[in-house]
Amino acid sequence: MTTETTTQAVARPGEKQVLEREHTRPGFVFRPDVDIVEQKDAFLVSADLPGVDERAIEVRLENGLLSIDASPGEAQDAAWTPLYAEYRTGGYHREFALSDAIDVNAIEAKLVDGVLRLRLPKRHEARPRQIAVQAG
Amino acid sequence: MAQYWLSHPWFDPWPDLGDLHRRMDRLFERASGPALARGSVFPPVNLYETSDGYVLTAEVPGLRHDEIEITVERDRLTLSGERRIEYPKDASLHRVERRGGSFRRTVQLPSEVDGDKVEASYRDGVLRVRIPKAAEHQPRRIAVGAS
Repeated sequence: MTTETTTQAVARPGEKQVLEREHTRPGFVFRPDVDIVEQKDAFLVSADLPGVDERAIEVRLENGLLSIDASPGEAQDAAWTPLYAEYRTGGYHREFALSDAIDVNAIEAKLVDGVLRLRLPKRHEARPRQIAVQAG
Repeated sequence: MAQYWLSHPWFDPWPDLGDLHRRMDRLFERASGPALARGSVFPPVNLYETSDGYVLTAEVPGLRHDEIEITVERDRLTLSGERRIEYPKDASLHRVERRGGSFRRTVQLPSEVDGDKVEASYRDGVLRVRIPKAAEHQPRRIAVGAS
């Protein structure tokens, strides 16, 4: 199972949620939309991180805590005059506690079209096993 | 459609609530620029004016560049496509926040534009469309002749 540990912030539905935390860097930090699904041998995590490139993303797994951090991408051209806005840009942060043992060395991460995809394989002892029942 | 209803002066059933929203928007406005438009839309777009036209940006994570259709007609730009979210059949879902489905959004631009010269680029889930204004709307420099 996975449990969210990120501080929650209030936002209107459908909007990027700003995380209310104390930051050491200026700018917004958003709470990205995340999907987590579980297979027999792995967890698959997908996070929407539009506007950041792969070098700006840091994924950590420490003491069962999975954290995703992304620093902001390049700012918009300062010469442009904003006329209308539905989103702002900034960094991203999210954390989850994973209860199952993960094989840290086998984690795969890739960024495709603004979506971070993680594959967190379970350790062998954490995978479900079929126990054969023998007739006595 | 819902946005049209909410923003249309003749169809606003809660005018005071709208005012409250606007005041809260101002209250929470921290960065420079216009207050965020309210409502749940995909994809969210921003519109900018440049010296010779407009730039529209949209956050469309998870779409490939060839899955986004852009059409321009006079002063209207339409984005459409489908965001598919699929997982292996044997997977159990713990958390599903990303939304899929088809979308179609039309943005009214402040003036007519030159549809033949629209350029779009896509990177890291962000679409950027450069839209030059039609020639008659371009700023023109008028030389002052000496008499």
